Amino acid sequence: MASLLSSGVLLRRNPHILKLPPYLSFLCVLIGVAWLLVLPLDNYSRNTYISENALLPGQVHTYFAGSDQNVFRGYKREIDALEDKPNIEVNDKLEEILKASGLKVARQSYEYKSAGQTYTGENIYAILHAPRGDATEAIVLVAAWKNMEGKLNRSGIPLILTLARYFKRWSLWSKDIIFLVTADSTAGPQAWVDAYHDTHQSPAIDSLPLKSGALQGAIVIDYPFDHRFHSLHIAYDGINGQLPNLDLLNTVVSIASGQMGIGVSLQQMWQHSDSYQDRLQTMLRGMMNQGLGHASGPHSSFIPYHVDAITLQPFGDGWQDEMAMGRVIESTFRSLNNLLEHLHQSFFFYLLMQANRFVSIGTYLPSAMLVAVNFTIMAIFLWVKSGYPQSTNSKTPSTVEAEEKTSQLNSSQKGNAKVITAEESSAVRERELLLPLAVVAGSQFLGVLPLYIFNHTPQNMLTPVFVSFAVANNALPYILSRTLTHLFNPTTQQYQLIKSFSLLLLGLFLSSLATLNFSLAFLVGLLATPLTYIYPTSSTSALSYVLKAVLALVLSVIAPTAVLVAASWSWGLSIEKVLTQAAYGWDVWGMNTQVVVWCVWWPAWIVGGVLLFGRPREETTKLNERGQESKAVI
Amino acid sequence: MKLDILFQLPVALALLASMPVAAEHTSNWAVLVSTSRFWFNYRHLANVLSLYRTVKRLGIPDSQIILMLPDDMACNPRNAFPGTVYSNADRAVDLYGDNIEVDYRGYEVTVENFIRLLTDRVGEEMPRSKRLLTDDRSNILVYMTGHGGNEFLKFQDAEEISAFDLADAFEQMWEKKRYHEILFMIDTCQANTMYSKFYSPNIIATGSSEIDQSSYSHHADNDVGVAVIDRYTYYNLDFLETHVREPSSKKTLGDLFDSYDEAKIHSHPGIRWDLFPGGEQGGRDRLLMDFFGNVQNVEVNSVVNDTEWKEDLLALGKKIAELRERAEADEAAERNVSTAEPLLKNHSSQRIRAAKVEIDGKWWEKKAIGAWTLAGCSLVWLAATYMES
Repeated sequence: MASLLSSGVLLRRNPHILKLPPYLSFLCVLIGVAWLLVLPLDNYSRNTYISENALLPGQVHTYFAGSDQNVFRGYKREIDALEDKPNIEVNDKLEEILKASGLKVARQSYEYKSAGQTYTGENIYAILHAPRGDATEAIVLVAAWKNMEGKLNRSGIPLILTLARYFKRWSLWSKDIIFLVTADSTAGPQAWVDAYHDTHQSPAIDSLPLKSGALQGAIVIDYPFDHRFHSLHIAYDGINGQLPNLDLLNTVVSIASGQMGIGVSLQQMWQHSDSYQDRLQTMLRGMMNQGLGHASGPHSSFIPYHVDAITLQPFGDGWQDEMAMGRVIESTFRSLNNLLEHLHQSFFFYLLMQANRFVSIGTYLPSAMLVAVNFTIMAIFLWVKSGYPQSTNSKTPSTVEAEEKTSQLNSSQKGNAKVITAEESSAVRERELLLPLAVVAGSQFLGVLPLYIFNHTPQNMLTPVFVSFAVANNALPYILSRTLTHLFNPTTQQYQLIKSFSLLLLGLFLSSLATLNFSLAFLVGLLATPLTYIYPTSSTSALSYVLKAVLALVLSVIAPTAVLVAASWSWGLSIEKVLTQAAYGWDVWGMNTQVVVWCVWWPAWIVGGVLLFGRPREETTKLNERGQESKAVI
Repeated sequence: MKLDILFQLPVALALLASMPVAAEHTSNWAVLVSTSRFWFNYRHLANVLSLYRTVKRLGIPDSQIILMLPDDMACNPRNAFPGTVYSNADRAVDLYGDNIEVDYRGYEVTVENFIRLLTDRVGEEMPRSKRLLTDDRSNILVYMTGHGGNEFLKFQDAEEISAFDLADAFEQMWEKKRYHEILFMIDTCQANTMYSKFYSPNIIATGSSEIDQSSYSHHADNDVGVAVIDRYTYYNLDFLETHVREPSSKKTLGDLFDSYDEAKIHSHPGIRWDLFPGGEQGGRDRLLMDFFGNVQNVEVNSVVNDTEWKEDLLALGKKIAELRERAEADEAAERNVSTAEPLLKNHSSQRIRAAKVEIDGKWWEKKAIGAWTLAGCSLVWLAATYMES
């Protein structure tokens, strides 16, 4: 133990060790990124498998065919006639149809306000009570009247009506089945699932007049065309990057591809050749969706309530008809019906790179953690460094080290050699904490400002507000830095501490976020990486000005606002659309991506800018004394 | 005391003499246990019910079958054919039917209850239908199925029985003379480990799979939606149904075990002979009916000559007379011995007389107390009525 301690002390004294952390943190980022890139390889990802024994996917014959197709066609004609009718009128007709099938029907209207817009609608749902089961559990079949793109769910609605009629004929249900038709794909499901769990905001959102047992799973049909389809696209991302249990996805994949012979694709990868590129692309798209934390379908609203849910979207032009789709759902429901307890056996944290290939949290988590650790390493390093006895003006770390070394040498020559050296080098300089803490805390609280602004600005004002904010945002670091220098004239140590605290918080937030929303933590971590390497300098040489200008450019490129502009440009969306969507997510879904952007990333970026334009005060008095002293000795 | 034993002896001898020499057991019992719950374990219930039907077909009455079913598949809401259990996708035979007696069901199927059943450590309140009322002349078929592993078998969802528990239970049965022979069959993953710890005699054991081997289901019924029977049980039943068609069948255990085909069962079935007297050869020659059917040997002995039977009876009568004489002689001898110690004898007789006197005295005493009590009561009553008036 003693030897370990002494070697620790030796390590601390070793000037080479002090040079290591910046390289180490850079290495962490490199390994983190490389880690992510090797995941699609066969050796690092696994084939999916069913963990829950009770599911028994695809072990039943499906009988949804024949005369039910005529029923489907009949319903389809009815739905086509309702295409442009108002919500209430549509629901009147749906209620009539569902009641004719012998089901209890109820309706719920809702109203959300976001970014100055009002979103209203009425959901309708029917409950099929399990003929021989207890009413303690339920599974949900959902079809939204309009899908995410606003298209009429042309075949999906008739299919849910036909299935309701068909399921009613079976006596083998152990759970209630709820057939839910929502007015739209984003607000409607959220209103319904909130009300189901009594967390809705009355009176804007109605309470549900009819309820059943605990929801065990939900399947959404999104079938907005009336021709035959080729394969099935599964959307599985939930709000805030939460995911449904992998078993649910595996069940549908195994039923669709194994039992019915229908291909399955994910993340809009219409073609997947099982190559490294395709796997990587699927995974990155998945990460992007997860990182944004938005709803990818009506199922997304269910997932925060721990109701495993997915959306099934037929696509392409093939020979699979609506009956095949119905059989997939029938077989899936038979599997869910077999469940004895909530889906829990398989993974909730995973990255999919193909319908039957995934990596689990244990394999991918280190990459985001390494990126987050890079900040923590630097924060600790700066803390240690700030406590070192100050020698002369610090230009670069290496010169600091060199000069510290000479000063130690000097003092050791001065008197009782060894003792004095030890005292000198292990002495901790007093840290002036008030200013750094105030700056970092201030910038963190400043984050509430954009969060509030962007979630409460009316839609038509969003673009001008954003443009003015972006401009102000670019000037803000410079202004803040100037103010800081002018008012307090911080020392190098204080700058080091500002940076240390800022990076410490960032590392802390990101590593905890990585366990909740891996992708968001990874993306923000990566975009914030340059902040690790920004130092304030008081040098006035031309080179340092050029360097500063380059760094300022980099800083403005990685600004949250700039990234937002770039992202919306690459998606082909207007800034207004993106911001409206974000505000909608905040108000309706309870999406917290903005919190991470404005309260975690943005403050760290502001502090980075403050550091870049910072001018450390020269600690003249102390320096002079020591300089004279050492000169005298020499 | 001695006298009583001596008088009983001829009766016992007569019983022994009347017993056929070939069949060493006088009753057949079956303990059939499924240990798993939940709908997706439908096949374990079907396994046990198929075997239940087979032993009933071959003559073991319901009163001698202990059937343990931890779950009710027939009435599970998921069952597409309510009230039925099938072990074949052709659904020709409803195993649940009308005449089924389940002795332990639901949460009664526990390790504790199972071991208590085997060792008969049960309370007085336990009905006879839930007890294994065997003796040292009973052959028992023990069949178990469920989910198991190395040296354990899972019961329901939360507990398991270990191979050691089971071995100790059998040993206790042997010590308590609760069986004559046992045929132990088990169909589970790593089944052969379950009988590896047995150390009591007269047990033949067989299991579906070796250590580190899984046992597999045979086929699924796509309308019921689950696997309906396990492979090992399926092929056992297949043999019993095609080769052991009537109770007079002369098929042996050897025939059954030889029919095991690893290619069909998909695992390596094991057989353990070493606890059986006569080892493998002795075991192989045992009739299947000794375990799967009821004792049928009575007719066989009725063929014996009439005069022979009478002669036997005469000889027996003579023997009884002889034994009686001997008993009297013994008694006389005992009397002689007792006269040699008159003091002891007197003492005992006096004590008997004294006891009688004592009883008499107490009788009077009690009468007196009773009379006084009655008088007292009536006095109190009189006093009370007087005061009230």
